[in-house]
Amino acid sequence: MTYIDLKNLKAISRDDTTRMHKYLVQFEQLIPERTHELEKALTNQNRLRIRQILHKMSPQLQFFGIQNIMVPIQRLEFEYETMSLLELEQLVKEIIVRLQGALSEVSEYIRLHFE
Amino acid sequence: MPYLRYPNISVYILNDQSTKSNTIGCLIIDDDPFIQDLLMDKLQQYFPEIKVLGKAMDGKQGLAKIASLDPDLVFLDVEMSDMTGFEMLSQLNTIGFKIIFITSYKHYAIKAIRFNALDYLLKPFDLEELKNAVKRYKETESPSTNLVLHNLKAQNAKDQTMILRTQQGELYIPLKDIVSIQGERNYSYINLVKDKKELVSKTLRSLEDLLEEKGFFRCHKSFIVSKNHIVSVRRSSIILSDMTEIPISRRKQDQFKKWQEE
Repeated sequence: MTYIDLKNLKAISRDDTTRMHKYLVQFEQLIPERTHELEKALTNQNRLRIRQILHKMSPQLQFFGIQNIMVPIQRLEFEYETMSLLELEQLVKEIIVRLQGALSEVSEYIRLHFE
Repeated sequence: MPYLRYPNISVYILNDQSTKSNTIGCLIIDDDPFIQDLLMDKLQQYFPEIKVLGKAMDGKQGLAKIASLDPDLVFLDVEMSDMTGFEMLSQLNTIGFKIIFITSYKHYAIKAIRFNALDYLLKPFDLEELKNAVKRYKETESPSTNLVLHNLKAQNAKDQTMILRTQQGELYIPLKDIVSIQGERNYSYINLVKDKKELVSKTLRSLEDLLEEKGFFRCHKSFIVSKNHIVSVRRSSIILSDMTEIPISRRKQDQFKKWQEE
């Protein structure tokens, strides 16, 4: 898998497939909602809202091992007020692309292992 | 080291574990369902003595659940959708539980958490850190949470009390009583009014970090002074209320002037 690493999920699940499924489904539900919120905040150029959404998302993304997403998230969390709008847009779009990639992999994993 | 207790501060021990069973009832307050589930699963898997009594999605719900569930321990998100964890706590009249803050990264709130000698965990929770936090919860006999409440409600920094964890217990030091602090490698002497002195195993840097926005200034590599206790200022030194003379480093002189005028 390119985007996600299920090491943490496997550790907390400890062979309990119901628990594993719960976290995967939660990811499948929360990420599109939050991506949509992120897109809306970007359209409205609402910098604070962008920071809040990313702040809320970041533990789940870390848990799913999407490490290459944490650097742009942390930059946005700390520099959201001062960063140029162009750069802010680029970083948010970059994050959204990675989120969509991770989401596809999670959906595929559910399809292969739980359906 | 003496265990300081100041008569003008009320420390209530409301959470007397000896009268309760060994089960620790906890409440999780966080606006992220993922965090709620993850923490609950980790607690259930590794801490059978902890029972999750309930979960709350925001500060308002948290206040209601604290009142109805009477938890021993609250895992409290620093930044919620409707208020911060500190804002939520300041709405309480008394705190009858211990607190472990949970946060996504080490931001500004960590300073306030450290000033009050509270615990915090970084999301998404390292197991060893969680184990250590629960261990500290069990080992800390005297909950200082009502002193925390006192600090949160204090209008001025000088009315706050710094809480330091030491091997002997918690040390409560009202900021208005601190005249100066002298660093000695990994230790610091806190010079108090009435010629009292406390030796603590904190570096001057860490104390400076806690106190720099509360009327204190590091005027020299070995000294921090309190603005409230400055009696007079000489060309390169300060006379304090205990009549000690503290040097001002040459490179700190401009900064010191600015700080004095603030």
